[in-house]
Amino acid sequence: MTGAGEPTVIEVAGLTRRFGRFTAVDHVDFSVRRGEIFGYLGANGAGKSTTIRMLCGLLAPTEGDAVVAGFRVSTEPERIKRRIGYMSQRFSLYPDLRVRHNLEFFGGAYGLWGRHLAGRIDEVLARVGLQDLDDSVTHALPGGIRQRVALAAAILHQPDIVFLDEPTAGVDPVARRNFWSLIRTLSEAGTTIFVTTHYMDEAEYCNRVGLMVAGRLAALDTPAALKARHVPGRVWMIRGPSLGRPEARQRLAALPGAIQVQTMGAGLRLRLSADSPVDADTIRRALATVVDQPVEVEADEATLEDVFLAVVDADAWRRGTAIARGEGPP
Amino acid sequence: MTDRRAALWTLLVQLRAVFIKEVRETSQDRRVVFLLTVAPFIQLLVFGFAINLDVDHVPTVVVDLDGSPEGREMVQAMLADGTLAATSPASSVQEAEAMLEHGDAAVAIVVPPGFARDLARGEPTEMQVLLDGTDPSRSGVASGAVSRYLGERGLDLARQRLAAATGGERRLPSVEVRPRLLFNPRLSSAIYMVPGIAGMLLLIITTLITAMGLAREQEVGTLEQVRVTPLPTPVLMVGKVSPFILVGLIDVTLAIAAGATVFDVPIRGSMALFYALTAAFLLNTVGMGLFISTISQTQQQAFIGAFMLILPGLLLSGTLTPIHAMPGWLQPITLLNPLRYFLEGVRAVLLEGARLDDVAFQLGMLSLYGVAILVAASIRFRKTVA
Repeated sequence: MTGAGEPTVIEVAGLTRRFGRFTAVDHVDFSVRRGEIFGYLGANGAGKSTTIRMLCGLLAPTEGDAVVAGFRVSTEPERIKRRIGYMSQRFSLYPDLRVRHNLEFFGGAYGLWGRHLAGRIDEVLARVGLQDLDDSVTHALPGGIRQRVALAAAILHQPDIVFLDEPTAGVDPVARRNFWSLIRTLSEAGTTIFVTTHYMDEAEYCNRVGLMVAGRLAALDTPAALKARHVPGRVWMIRGPSLGRPEARQRLAALPGAIQVQTMGAGLRLRLSADSPVDADTIRRALATVVDQPVEVEADEATLEDVFLAVVDADAWRRGTAIARGEGPP
Repeated sequence: MTDRRAALWTLLVQLRAVFIKEVRETSQDRRVVFLLTVAPFIQLLVFGFAINLDVDHVPTVVVDLDGSPEGREMVQAMLADGTLAATSPASSVQEAEAMLEHGDAAVAIVVPPGFARDLARGEPTEMQVLLDGTDPSRSGVASGAVSRYLGERGLDLARQRLAAATGGERRLPSVEVRPRLLFNPRLSSAIYMVPGIAGMLLLIITTLITAMGLAREQEVGTLEQVRVTPLPTPVLMVGKVSPFILVGLIDVTLAIAAGATVFDVPIRGSMALFYALTAAFLLNTVGMGLFISTISQTQQQAFIGAFMLILPGLLLSGTLTPIHAMPGWLQPITLLNPLRYFLEGVRAVLLEGARLDDVAFQLGMLSLYGVAILVAASIRFRKTVA
């Protein structure tokens, strides 16, 4: 489910949170439709968690407001809590309790009890694929499994919206992939997912992605649209020996329309503007005099990481602050 | 109406969930279970036997320089009630002093030569009593026993002599002061100590465990998860402390049962009143525990915080030192200490068979302080949790 044509379940308007003189979230506006997987990207400290905490009713906004599942965060945070599930970046289940006992507690906290609760626990454990582990003591489980238990706890009361704050932090790649396939299944069943992450590859799974830079929402769109707008043009991957020489980098950066040269493993990654006349042959010729052997050149795709860096650079440029990485903005 | 009933039902479901969770989490750790149940029992026995304030069988050396039947009779009478117990006799004052110095005796009674003769002649006579003052409470009781006896004996003699002189039985116009120890006639310190130890154990155990409880949730990060649930703060608080109030009531029952069987602590008053005092006292301890946990970020801080409170709480309660023996300026501070009221109340109920109106003040103060601390803690708790 992409959320297109579905009703809006999160509506954020001018949402702001200050801590003393520090503005953690600065006049953010966006809306999320039912069944969407909405990704929230940003560096640590960009205001992702603060936003999520305000939307969950954990933190009152300093200014602005948001309507979540039909209730205002400023005035009705307690009513929101019944309609949402939340999974924090810290593992937040009782480590000394068995999996089932953890779920019984959280189910009870939502007012579930008796046979209905027992049934829901079996359902969510089956959904996250852990039906055999309900008797295990939680702290003995590996990180990826624990995150699935935490997800099970967050969806026990069938929430409309699930907020996931860096759910896969510190989890191995296989467990991350499994986790994301769970999230997709949930979304297909109509649950709205609001997820923060700083893994750019994970953001590709989202229907729409918002980029937080220093408390502001710097960009918001589908991953494809973000790439088209912020990293237009083409990307070339160049592989071969002796590309580590500074001259190789310099030659590439001097090509017409070159935006960025990145080191990627033993190779270089060249980003060009859309109107650049440069092609694979041009690149080979440019490098011919500085490398000993012919290089391999192939077309590559822009990633959300490119988008993120482009947006961060543009933002820094706009603010007139120094650019630390030494590579000019577009 | 049905809406309200449903809301109430939800609250009960939530409360039950917190209670069960707390019990499961606590019982998961065998060491904690041991600390909550078996350890208090052992401590009671250890304290009961170790803190022995009984003054009994004070070793007494007799130096009889007169050798008369009257002198022997007098000494026998003095030793009769068991407070003083004769060691091997000495033949000289020097020898007796040496025994006092070496700790072989704590009291020396010297019957001077000519004691019987002076007594018969009606002349003033002296008897020397030497006391080892290193243990003030023991020497105090010993000297009391000796002077009480001598006083009575002196009066008897005076009465006899007066009767002989006037030729008839006449009452002597004198006031006789006889201290009688009520409620604890044997001055057994265990009887006095058991309620104190019970209060001390309650204070330590329930304050510590509630203080650590919330701090642990903050440390582990579970509190954050609880906060996004619709679980109301008061329900969370009540659910978290009630298992430990229950543990406290069980512990105090064990302590009193042990006290009654091992140390013959009497239970003269009503158990209902005793439990009422205990419950009111527990409001204070869990309230303080909660309060400490709301100002602590980690379990370690909570532990130190609780410790800083428990120690003066114990010392300024009358458990180990009588309040009237404290410096004057310190005594009013004990009026702020819930343990003081708990001790006064429980001692009165158990040892004196006090009724509700006798301990109404103590019960009232405990409830007042308990509610005040709980309110303060819940305000802080609300700030921490919400």
